[in-house]
Amino acid sequence: MTDSIAKNASDFAGNAAYVVVALLVIMALYSILTQKNLIKICIGIAVLGSSVNFFLVLLGYRQRGGIPVYYLRGAGDAMVLPTPQCLTLTAIVIALATTALMLSLVILINKHYGTMNIDEIRRLRG
Amino acid sequence: MNWRDHLPALLVMIPLLGAFLTPFVASCGKTVRNVFFVFSMALVLFVGASLCAATFDGRVLVYVMGGESFSLTLPSGMSYPVRILFEIDAFGSLLILCVSVAAFAGAVFSIHYMDRFSGWKRFMALYFLMTAGALGMSATGDLFNFFVFVEISSIASFGLIAFWRDKPESLEASFKYMLISQIAAMLLLIAIGSLYGKYNALNMGALSSMMRSGTLERVSLALIVSVLAFKCGAFPMHAWMPDAYAEAPSGVTCLLVTVSQASFYGLIRVCYSIFPGLTQGGTVGWLLIVLGCMSMFFGVMMAVVQHEIKRLMGYHSISQVGYMLLAMGVGLLALGDGNRVAAYGLTAMKGGLFHVMNYSFYKGLLFLCAGSLYYATGTRDLDKMGGLARNMPWTAGMFVIGAAAISGLPPFNGFVSKWMIYESSFAVHPVLPAVAMITSVLTLASFAKVFQAAFLGPAKAKFVAVREVPYGMLAGMAILTVATLLLTLFPGWFTGNLFENAAQALLNRQGYIHAVLGGM
Amino acid sequence: MWSQLDTGFGHWNVFVWIFFFVVISGFVLWARSLGRMDYKRNTDQDEIYWSGNQVPDDGAKISVPASSSYWGFRVAMEPLYTLLYRFHSGNASDYAGYFVVTVALIGLLVLF
Repeated sequence: MTDSIAKNASDFAGNAAYVVVALLVIMALYSILTQKNLIKICIGIAVLGSSVNFFLVLLGYRQRGGIPVYYLRGAGDAMVLPTPQCLTLTAIVIALATTALMLSLVILINKHYGTMNIDEIRRLRG
Repeated sequence: MNWRDHLPALLVMIPLLGAFLTPFVASCGKTVRNVFFVFSMALVLFVGASLCAATFDGRVLVYVMGGESFSLTLPSGMSYPVRILFEIDAFGSLLILCVSVAAFAGAVFSIHYMDRFSGWKRFMALYFLMTAGALGMSATGDLFNFFVFVEISSIASFGLIAFWRDKPESLEASFKYMLISQIAAMLLLIAIGSLYGKYNALNMGALSSMMRSGTLERVSLALIVSVLAFKCGAFPMHAWMPDAYAEAPSGVTCLLVTVSQASFYGLIRVCYSIFPGLTQGGTVGWLLIVLGCMSMFFGVMMAVVQHEIKRLMGYHSISQVGYMLLAMGVGLLALGDGNRVAAYGLTAMKGGLFHVMNYSFYKGLLFLCAGSLYYATGTRDLDKMGGLARNMPWTAGMFVIGAAAISGLPPFNGFVSKWMIYESSFAVHPVLPAVAMITSVLTLASFAKVFQAAFLGPAKAKFVAVREVPYGMLAGMAILTVATLLLTLFPGWFTGNLFENAAQALLNRQGYIHAVLGGM
Repeated sequence: MWSQLDTGFGHWNVFVWIFFFVVISGFVLWARSLGRMDYKRNTDQDEIYWSGNQVPDDGAKISVPASSSYWGFRVAMEPLYTLLYRFHSGNASDYAGYFVVTVALIGLLVLF
């Protein structure tokens, strides 16, 4: 079994998707580290989660591969790998739970502190 | 068909089932709820202790989930395992024992501690889930499954830290932990995904047998090491720890301590069993040593000046984790060289593992004592406490035992593990035990301050009516006190049977691989 | 031997220490029994002596708060504590930044 990275190493089109993943991760980290609004930080976390999911799906991709179900795979012989898709499903569920919990925390924090600015939410320090 | 074969599955099944049953049981009245909670945790403790006994002889237990047979790791001619499997060796069962004892004590304590508050269904369900996550982290043999358990325990702990959602500080602590934890979890997933992309396997044993040296492996190793070091609170990434430990309810803090130990388990497992080819060079060993020394020193420096009791103990947690990182880093320096392992590596690893167990017991005990003080006086500020030893003699007595143990006063168990760490790290560089000893002295100084401020001094007028806490809370503390005293009285037995086996299991990488891949 | 621990560097036995404590406490009790016997309970000898002043009823007025202990240590270490307080700023963005920077540093260290 060869991995998709090695298989597509020759052509740029095969690796372009990984560049997109890297860009998404950098954008997400940028928004988490520089934005002051709590909601924007949550968006950064969500983008980070999505980019990682994208990365996982990409790992299992085979060129012109079909659905990894035997009787639905279509004309071609190749199928994409099913395991990364299962991993992605699990990761999506986890990301959903964390995003929901995080947003509910933001609502409660806004209720107590009366602000969405992360610089002002610092009673615990020192 | 022997029920003992299914212990690894029961270990995670009981708390998960408990979490799902909680909404029904909690509607049946207070007594049923309390009995159910304590009984489930006692069952978990029983399973954990049985697992520990089953790995005494160096056996590695393997349990395959969802297969036609629970012991068949390689079905139908596969060359590597495809199913999720649990793999428990002596090192894993040591952590399982720590987690289950602390979870049991925290549950017994919480029954009275949380009695005044509503939301018991949520509290119990999250407590069960967090226990399941921590136990699963120490039991699993699959990297992605490890990530899932990390997330289960993390999400449950976010909820429990913010359990008192009418207090702004708890929300703030939970949000801070969650923000960094989510970045960390995603980096961990990137690392695991990269390894899967290259090796087409997620099983730790299979990965270990195929592991080569390369750029991708190095990047993955760096990501996993830094993420798990963050989870157990190493120095530059520790700032969430005092916040979260201080704001969570005390029974939960007792369990949070062992959740960070389970992350420590992951860190050590990755360094020793999966990437030994990369970690033998000395870089990662020295990295752990430097992280450990920084955590020890800066953690205790911040602890000395705190005046809020649980925040002070939270900073102490950072410095205690530093001892373990130092010990396991020293062990990692010796890895792969039989002479150095015999000279100091094995002692360092035994000392580090001894400290893991000591730390989960006495630190849990101290957090429960802090919770008792909060329960009785309604404040966590040491400036306002005073003279409480007359009102709360049992709490004071157990606090003294915990404080003496964490400060490393002989004859207590903390001294024994620290002594083993000093001796073995001295063989690497004399500066290391010096830092550790300074830390130990400052630890003693700050706990002397806590004891003086909270329990000694003249009786204060507003605390005249304070009484000893209810028996349930005392029982929770007594469990951990007894565990600490057992470790104090029989260090030879515990070292010979638990820590020696665990250290040998870490060194025996072939055995770990062999248990999954068979005779390959 | 359940209590004996040999590390290869030395030996540890907790019962030696307990034996030592028993001997020392026997010695202390003996020394104490040689002391004065003319102390009387429930007389003025029980009263706290507070530099000749009237002792306040509420102990809160004569106790030293925890923040005041180790004042000298804190003052001596002032430069370090200034740095440490600035580090623990309480700002979650800073903490996330420390984490990302540490990950990057560890990555560079392991990679090269």
